[in-house]
Amino acid sequence: MLKVEKLVAGYGKVQVLHDVSLEVPEGTLVTLIGSNGAGKTTTLRALSGMIAPQSGRIVMDGADIAGLPTHAITRRGMAHSPEGRRVFSTLSVADNLLLGAFPRVTGARPKGDVAADLERMYALFPRLSERRTQLAGTLSGGEQQMLAMARALMLNPKVLLLDEPSMGLAPRLVEEVFATIARLKQQRVTMLLVEQFAMAALEVADFGYVLENGRVTASGPAGVLRDDPAVRAAYLGQHG
Amino acid sequence: MQILAQLLVSGIAVGMIYGVIAFGYQLTFATSKTLNFGQGEALMLGSLVGLTVVSITGYWIMLPIVLAFGLLQGSVVERLGVRQAIKTKSESGWIMATIALGIIFKNMAENIWGRDALKFPSPLPEAPIGFMGVNVLPMEIAIVVGALALMLAVEFFNRRSIYGKAVVATANDRDAAGLMGINTSLVITFSYALSSMTAAFAGVLVAPVTLTGANMGGALGLKAFAVAIIGGLSSGMGVVVGGLILGITETLTGYYVSTGYKDVPGLVLLLLVLSLKPSGLFGVATIKKV
Ligand SMILES: Nc1ncnc2c1ncn2[C@@H]1O[C@H](COP(=O)(O)OP(=O)(O)OP(=O)(O)O)[C@@H](O)[C@H]1O
Ligand SMILES: [Mg+2]
Repeated sequence: MLKVEKLVAGYGKVQVLHDVSLEVPEGTLVTLIGSNGAGKTTTLRALSGMIAPQSGRIVMDGADIAGLPTHAITRRGMAHSPEGRRVFSTLSVADNLLLGAFPRVTGARPKGDVAADLERMYALFPRLSERRTQLAGTLSGGEQQMLAMARALMLNPKVLLLDEPSMGLAPRLVEEVFATIARLKQQRVTMLLVEQFAMAALEVADFGYVLENGRVTASGPAGVLRDDPAVRAAYLGQHG
Repeated sequence: MQILAQLLVSGIAVGMIYGVIAFGYQLTFATSKTLNFGQGEALMLGSLVGLTVVSITGYWIMLPIVLAFGLLQGSVVERLGVRQAIKTKSESGWIMATIALGIIFKNMAENIWGRDALKFPSPLPEAPIGFMGVNVLPMEIAIVVGALALMLAVEFFNRRSIYGKAVVATANDRDAAGLMGINTSLVITFSYALSSMTAAFAGVLVAPVTLTGANMGGALGLKAFAVAIIGGLSSGMGVVVGGLILGITETLTGYYVSTGYKDVPGLVLLLLVLSLKPSGLFGVATIKKV
């Protein structure tokens, strides 16, 4: 579904990613792990066009999308729940979700049943359901995180990029987020997950990539990576 | 007392014009953190184009034509003067560019319509209506109603339609709006178009009362800028309140001091704004970020 070849990207003259290659097959959950500053967020930003790749190919559903503007990539079916939530604070929960479906409502993507999908999101995140008319800026951090995920799902994406959906959450909420991700995986949503809780991410994922200083240094089936002594040493101590 | 009431009525009409121009400043600032310093010229052009069109089509068909002209003129300003500055995150490029475009528009208008003040036909009777001893021009009522209706229409669009919500989302967080599949460059062009349309509309509203001409825009644009800073650049109805206060103060000054000093309160306000908020005027910090 998504295939990245020798991706080079950075900020201004600073090159952050060096020839990153990875693959997210349809219906699988792939995780990208690595320590702070490794370039995980930068990778996702380059994939969704928030920064322009300097070189490399990003092939989604058979078409090279590298260099397209963000809105065009979204309209082709990539949803990105960005680091730091980035909900629209002066809009209601319901409006945030509706905007997630903007390409569907405005005809750039197949419409489907937007109202039914809204209800599906409210079922998946009951906490949001109670707060439909509340302004997103007044939600708690955990609620905003759920909203950011639900908003991205409203695209009915071909690929969903999740950047640290558990960031800043209390342990009980972290578990809830991972349970939600597991449920999405059962529904065969194609996902690329970036997580600080590396072991928990490898627990739910099918496949994993380890990123260090902007380079992929290890990859393999999630179970294999989880048992890899080097990966354990690097990430187990960090966060269970 | 009668006189005071009379002055208030005139002040309110002028004040609504300031309010509606300031509202136009808000529209572009919300989405792009930039302003069109040629906003006064957009008003002037709208009014003069209206003057030419009205003689051909009559008043009511002239209105949508002027609104469409405003949309087009605003888009041109954004494409020529602002887009590149936003792209390169330039802090001041758009200031010089929009001022320069304003001067060009003014010169063009002088060449086409001359430098003199011109009379604009009134769509409503020009005889004042007596109301509890106060004489109100029908056009003054039209200004207040028209300005409020326009602002409410934009507000309604933003709150109710998916495209309006896309505009609000872009104002909230441009990158995140892009992730929703919203073409945020187009949203910014649109907000410039809408802003100039607002000014053009204000131009045809005010022209029957004040006369029109190539020189009508400059002072209005500057004073409305001061109102926008005081009333709040981001959003809100503060601009209407600020506009009314300025409009009334000016009319009072014109009567009790001298008509020659009528423009002074607004320009003093502008100087105060510039000296009290020297750096934070355009939220430069916000442009720098990201
Ligand atoms: N906007 C930016 N401008 C310049 N450099 C940046 C910018 N954002 C990130 N960087 C740099 O790029 C490198 C990779 O950052 P990135 O955010 O991709 O890391 P990360 O793996 O997501 O880390 P974390 O786990 O802390 O989120 C870092 O060295 C960082 O300082
Ligand atoms: Mg990150």
